[in-house]
Amino acid sequence: MSSADERVAANVAQWTLTNAEYTDAQAERVWRKDAITWSVFGIPDEWLGDVNGLDVVELGCGTAFFAARLARRGARPVGVDPTPAQLETARRMMREIGPEFPLVEAPAERVPLPDNSFDLAVSAYGASLWADPAEWLAEAARLLRPGGRLLFLTTSALAHLCTPEGDEVPITNSLVRPQFAPWETRWEGYQGVEYHLSHGDWIRVLRENGFVVDGLHELQAGPDAKSHEYYFVIPVEWARRWPGEDLWEVHLG
Amino acid sequence: MSRDSIAANIAEWTETNAQHTDANAQRAWDHEGILWGVFAIPEEQVGALPDVNGLDVVELGCGTAYFGSWLARRGARVTGVDPTPAQLATARRMMQQSGLEFPLVEAPGESVPLPDASFDLAVSEYGASLWADPRKWVPEAARLLRPGGRLVFLTNSTLVYLCAPTDVDSMVGEELLRDQFGMYRIQWEGALGIEYHLAHGDWIALMRENGFEIEALHELRPHETAVDPNYYDYVTVDWAKKWPAEEIWVARKT
Repeated sequence: MSSADERVAANVAQWTLTNAEYTDAQAERVWRKDAITWSVFGIPDEWLGDVNGLDVVELGCGTAFFAARLARRGARPVGVDPTPAQLETARRMMREIGPEFPLVEAPAERVPLPDNSFDLAVSAYGASLWADPAEWLAEAARLLRPGGRLLFLTTSALAHLCTPEGDEVPITNSLVRPQFAPWETRWEGYQGVEYHLSHGDWIRVLRENGFVVDGLHELQAGPDAKSHEYYFVIPVEWARRWPGEDLWEVHLG
Repeated sequence: MSRDSIAANIAEWTETNAQHTDANAQRAWDHEGILWGVFAIPEEQVGALPDVNGLDVVELGCGTAYFGSWLARRGARVTGVDPTPAQLATARRMMQQSGLEFPLVEAPGESVPLPDASFDLAVSEYGASLWADPRKWVPEAARLLRPGGRLVFLTNSTLVYLCAPTDVDSMVGEELLRDQFGMYRIQWEGALGIEYHLAHGDWIALMRENGFEIEALHELRPHETAVDPNYYDYVTVDWAKKWPAEEIWVARKT
């Protein structure tokens, strides 16, 4: 095991690399899109509801394209991310494309923002995969107002069980790793630290932090979806048969 | 759609009772503790149930009612509900022999002839939870419970459904053999009965639609010393130590 600071540092290093390799070059394309979609298969949102006038925090915003789309619908977002390189890309996109909104450099485990200051927290492959759930869910609960909602997207519990070691290998049709295992996951040839929970563990840690579970949306790739050019681990054929991604919808009770 | 599965499952459980559950009723009724599933995991290690003393409890799909008897011995006022006359006859014999009597109602979990808001706890241990149509029995459980009442049910995990060979006599393996999307109702090759398996997201949606708040999903792991099941031998203990073969949902009616 490792210290919390070391895990955050490993993910900052990973996302600095990924930003140089992919997300910086893709930022303009994704910032120019308006449609709110989830998933590497671009599934149109049907869960967020009307965000107009809401105070929104995005935990692990990366280049902040998701928050930008919420801002265009009248939300007041704040993007939080620990990786300076991604926030730099986000700032460039704000100047070149807009809109502008606050960005905070911090890991989701320790967010320097006040209690009870948001109506909605979102995380799309952000804190949801790269931060320690025992800590970031406590932070999300602290940041939200009573009744505030949290929606987060991450790799499905099933996809994780079917993903072999090695960062060039796609998912299999077999259970290749046990479910009864630590949340913290590291991959060969990859610096980042991920957190993979079973559904039962997600429900338990959500409840421990005061959240009521409204939905677990196990996402299915649509008929016109294509395999992602960069996030290729789960091909579209697999994601039509089994959920590659889980979208949790909860609110603060 | 569920009418045919009710008849099929009465046939299945009449046969299973003649083969196994009638002969094992005495042993099951005599057990002191509450055990969950084919690996006999003690409730003390799971913590799925509230203190049942003084609670009105309905068991949906009680079979020979041994699970209900364990709750009755802890002070619950239990009513057992099951559609299979042969299993209820076994349950009545056990009641006469043990002197522990409680009401039994012959009915499927889809349609229970008991009044609204009359129970504090609804339980199902491989009963309605696996053999009744969830779109019918979950609303029935909601109707039978008082506000604040709990629903606790044990069934197979989604992973078991995905990895079980079609042939009912084969063991669960490590390969995904069928799609998750579209899963709901299945009749295994060589089986009389019809089972219902839902993905976790679908269970949550169905319970939310029926006014339940989700409290827990206990994905069961057998104890280190557990051994392979002897009758319900669809899965090995080695498999079940890596992945949950069984799961208990806990929900509260709001």
